[in-house]
Amino acid sequence: MANPQNCHDLSDNQLVALSIQDSQYFYCLMKRYEDKLGRYVSRFTYLDNDDIADIVQDSFINAYQHLNDCDCDLKFSSWLYRIVHNQTINFLKKNKQSQKIRIEDGDDEFVDWLVADTNIEKETIKKHQNDHLKVLLEQLKPDYKEVLTLKFFEDKDYREISDILQKPMGTVATLISRAKIQFKEIYEKDSKNQ
Amino acid sequence: MKKTAKISDRALKLISQKQIKPIPRWKFIMKNWGLWLVLIVCLAFFILGSSLSWFGLADNIIFPHFWLFTLAIFFVLSFLIFEKTKKAYRYQKRLVVFSLLILGLIIGGLLFKTGLANRLDRGFESGFPGYRHLVPMKLETWNNPSQGYLSGKITKVNQDNFELEDFTGKIWIITGTPIIKGRQKLTEGTEIKLIGTRTGESDFTVQEIRPWSGRKSQ
Repeated sequence: MANPQNCHDLSDNQLVALSIQDSQYFYCLMKRYEDKLGRYVSRFTYLDNDDIADIVQDSFINAYQHLNDCDCDLKFSSWLYRIVHNQTINFLKKNKQSQKIRIEDGDDEFVDWLVADTNIEKETIKKHQNDHLKVLLEQLKPDYKEVLTLKFFEDKDYREISDILQKPMGTVATLISRAKIQFKEIYEKDSKNQ
Repeated sequence: MKKTAKISDRALKLISQKQIKPIPRWKFIMKNWGLWLVLIVCLAFFILGSSLSWFGLADNIIFPHFWLFTLAIFFVLSFLIFEKTKKAYRYQKRLVVFSLLILGLIIGGLLFKTGLANRLDRGFESGFPGYRHLVPMKLETWNNPSQGYLSGKITKVNQDNFELEDFTGKIWIITGTPIIKGRQKLTEGTEIKLIGTRTGESDFTVQEIRPWSGRKSQ
């Protein structure tokens, strides 16, 4: 029986191969990803912790059943994120909820990205943190919110985002670029109204 | 997140309690192969539709409505099935559409150029009795006695020959011992088409007789 303590030296793909024979190895994979996935879901939903835990748990069960279909050409984490992403979207649709994007203190990289190329002063944006900035970001299209979450909060590269969202890399780049343009428009409209 | 810390324990317990097992690999392999097999079949019909549409549009021998419809249906099906394959998401949809169109039109065009589309059309006519109703031939193709093609209605059956009124109203004396396709009966009033040789102003020696399934309104 696998001991999670001994799993640290094993790669994801090694653990996948072992998990097919022994579910205890899958426990190692779940341990490895449960916090990351929980955080990921909380970043783009309004769900409470219990719902998030249920989504991640169902995703793990789903992933376990489909281990033999795991596409090892791509990263295991991308495959797992894809399952969680789909599970979350299904949950939101079923419960008629929308996606969000959660900004927290310390998300400096994200603020830097908002500032870059938008001619918006960093200090001006920082003044808006966090509550008002959240309101503005809420107005972004759902497609933009999810791609931004993966890029800035999950630190995924274009290939990984493409594999998770099942969209071409060119589309991912376009979505990120358009998100920036839309944010600028929302920001400027908001500034005029104030 | 209080509950998140226990997700792995809960999930493992559930796996154990419900005796959940990974779905066997062969099921995924079969599903994947099945998908590709259906895709290949759809592509084959798409290319077939393309080649016979080329034949109809370029050589002007048949009305290719049926094949244009086949081409359109199997093009859409090929696209939809391709989109279901594992790595399809990596390609822009418009690139897939464009590539499929180019593939179908080029391969279909090659099949037409090599004469295979023509042979296929004749093969379908011989093999499927209702084919010529679906894909009628154009009248002018069969109203060209100098090239060996004639069509019309039998007006009189004699012991050694019969008389045929073509669709322009001209009467022909038909002789010969032809191969008769499609169980065609040579009785007065029957519309037929003939392949043979013109031997005089109003004489035609026939080698093959087929039922007429073309259109007269040109």
